[in-house]
Amino acid sequence: MMNFKKNYLHRVVLASLVGGAALLSSGAALANDSDELEKLRALVQELDQKIRVLDRKAELSEEKAEADRKAAPVIKAGSSGFSVESADKKNSIKLRGLLQADSRNYFSDDNPDINNEYTLRRVRPRIQGTFFNIFDFDINTDFAPSAAVVQDAFINARIQPWFQVQAGKFKVPVSLERIQSGGDLRFVERSYVSDSIAPNRDVGLQIHGNVLNDKLNYAVGVFDGQFDGQSNGTNRDNVANADGKEIAVRVFATPFKGEDSVLEGLGFGLAATRANGSDQAVGDSYRTPGQRTIFAYNGATLTDGDKTRFSPQAYYYNGPFGLITEYIKSDTDVVRGANSDKISNDAWQIAASWVLTGENNSFRGITPKRDFDLNAGTWGAWELAVRYHQLNVDDKVFEGPAATRYASATSTTEKASSWGLGVNWYLNKNLKVQTTYEQTSFDSGVAGVQDLEDEKVLFTRLQVAF
Amino acid sequence: MKSPILTFTGLLAALLLSASVHAAEVTLLNVSYDPTRELYQDYNAAFSKYWQTKTGDKVTIKQSHGGAGKQARAVIDGLEADVVTLALAYDIDAIHEKARLIPKDWQKRLGNNSSPYTSTIVLLVRKGNPKGIKDWDDLARPGVSVITPNPKTSGGARWNYLAAWAYALKKYGSEDKAKEFVAKIYKNVPVLDSGARGSTTTFVERGIGDVAISWENEAFLALKELGPEKFEIVVPSLSILAEPPVTIVDKVVDKRKTRVVAQAYLDYLYSEEGQDIAGKHYYRPTLASAAAKYEKQFPKLNLITIDEVFGGWQKAQKTHFNDGGVFDQIYGK
Repeated sequence: MMNFKKNYLHRVVLASLVGGAALLSSGAALANDSDELEKLRALVQELDQKIRVLDRKAELSEEKAEADRKAAPVIKAGSSGFSVESADKKNSIKLRGLLQADSRNYFSDDNPDINNEYTLRRVRPRIQGTFFNIFDFDINTDFAPSAAVVQDAFINARIQPWFQVQAGKFKVPVSLERIQSGGDLRFVERSYVSDSIAPNRDVGLQIHGNVLNDKLNYAVGVFDGQFDGQSNGTNRDNVANADGKEIAVRVFATPFKGEDSVLEGLGFGLAATRANGSDQAVGDSYRTPGQRTIFAYNGATLTDGDKTRFSPQAYYYNGPFGLITEYIKSDTDVVRGANSDKISNDAWQIAASWVLTGENNSFRGITPKRDFDLNAGTWGAWELAVRYHQLNVDDKVFEGPAATRYASATSTTEKASSWGLGVNWYLNKNLKVQTTYEQTSFDSGVAGVQDLEDEKVLFTRLQVAF
Repeated sequence: MKSPILTFTGLLAALLLSASVHAAEVTLLNVSYDPTRELYQDYNAAFSKYWQTKTGDKVTIKQSHGGAGKQARAVIDGLEADVVTLALAYDIDAIHEKARLIPKDWQKRLGNNSSPYTSTIVLLVRKGNPKGIKDWDDLARPGVSVITPNPKTSGGARWNYLAAWAYALKKYGSEDKAKEFVAKIYKNVPVLDSGARGSTTTFVERGIGDVAISWENEAFLALKELGPEKFEIVVPSLSILAEPPVTIVDKVVDKRKTRVVAQAYLDYLYSEEGQDIAGKHYYRPTLASAAAKYEKQFPKLNLITIDEVFGGWQKAQKTHFNDGGVFDQIYGK
């Protein structure tokens, strides 16, 4: 466009000069003044050269600007975060964040004010990046706990899509819901499967990748080892449950991925862990959706051999509909005094969600078709969710008197059953208002001890994620 | 009956053997300077044919062209060139000094200081030579518009600059006079392109300037492409022997496992066919038989060398072209 303008200018100026020169030359001819004509010709040539030089300089400037633009780093600021990327796209760094401000209201017949509170659930500034198009890094901190913790800190070498090596602290590849980002959850708190039994984050080394045209994901890792529901360095528990290391294996298939099929959004898999430890206080502890601890072992109950977990899992997404279900069983060899046993605890969940405003449901979250904007009369995306989940603690932990029982003296619940309803409002890609009601009933495992009173809790969350 | 393990091993060996006798396909990247596009298009086709006949392997050569200084910088910054064929040794030295991709003595590895062909610098003027350009002195006259690229980015431009300097030094007898002379020439330069091909475009296609200081091969190409009815070559009384060198980039060829074919690619430049192709594209062959064949197409010139007048490329670069050097002083930063 600029070239056209310049050339156009060039032609107009030149035509004017030549025209003027012709007129003058005719006058000069009349005056028979050939010197004047020669001077005018020279002037036209000189001006023509000057215009050509200006054109060429502009052309070179444009070429240079284009070359500079191609070599310049690309700075992006948008709903996906803020990033800087090298011109060759091989190196990048991205600033991300997750902020969740919660309100928890408990409705109890005996004590209606129990634990009612406002709390910051997650405050996570996060830096992710890539070097040389192969090496990814992720540093994810959380300032919500009483002391700031590093949630994730790892390096992942994408040597091939089917062979990647990841080292550092990250989510142990076991629970499907745990692998789902904390910003994409359909309920304010996770189910018993991932919140109580599956390990959270741990320090280790993992080989993983996608094979069979990305239809099968695998992960095999060696970790320090975690008790049920625990995370390395979260200030809740920082003790490995294994003398050696804990091995985690997970395979997850999406056999119809990329196909025009009603089953395109189907995924299913299996995960397992195995560790061996002895003489450590068993650190498993289980919580309600309202984040109250309802089960822990007695401090004198120690590890005494293997700890294994096994978890089948699946999801299905089709249009606005989403379903996630998983089961997990945790077997732990324990000893207290002269008694030893294999304790088997398990949990399962099934949760469904429906996006009322027509957006596609997915494991990764919902992106509204129309962002919330009062002036435009658009309201973002709305979603309803329903869940049932259950926790079962082995009867054996409640056998005998408190002085010899594996469970702690205050732990009496052998079964917790919860149902939940959720309403999620996605104002835009970054902002979400989430409301969850959860009601839990408890069965006591100790003879003569009454069931705990039902837990009824209403969560409201304001979330910003980028 | 054979055991399953033996059967499997046999099958595996057969598979490996069959794979090994399949013809390989290799890709090379030749990072070169600005005016060698046409030369290497022809040469690459000839070498591919030669290599396939000799080994059965198919080799594809990709080309990258630009100002020699910029091209060397790109290789230093990570452009994976199997071979570099640049305008002057200094730029290849930089690949050793700044990235250690090649050994320090790279220039001793091939004949004629690793320069399979040579060239020189001539003057290209418009038909009829309206400004009466006869020698370097005419480029310093007021009112003469001179086209030459930027010595900071172009190898050819550095040869141009040094040829003018050498002429002035010989004629006027002092460095100060030479500096003054070259400053006058650059005062007449209205546009500094980043490479020699850009300068040719400025002079030939955009119609700017009275005279272009040019690679000899580039001047002949302009005559060939646009006809002697539009341009003329003026041979100055003194010019400089330009020796564009070539080398494999060791770290790259070892990483890409292309050393053998990359080495053969450069060796073939010295062959009868390689030298013939260089001659056809107006580069001066170094092989005696090819030089004799193309002797008549090149004018006889009084040529000085970089070593005898400037003490080699390292010294010339430091004195004239590094930041704050003589060129910056006379042209202004």
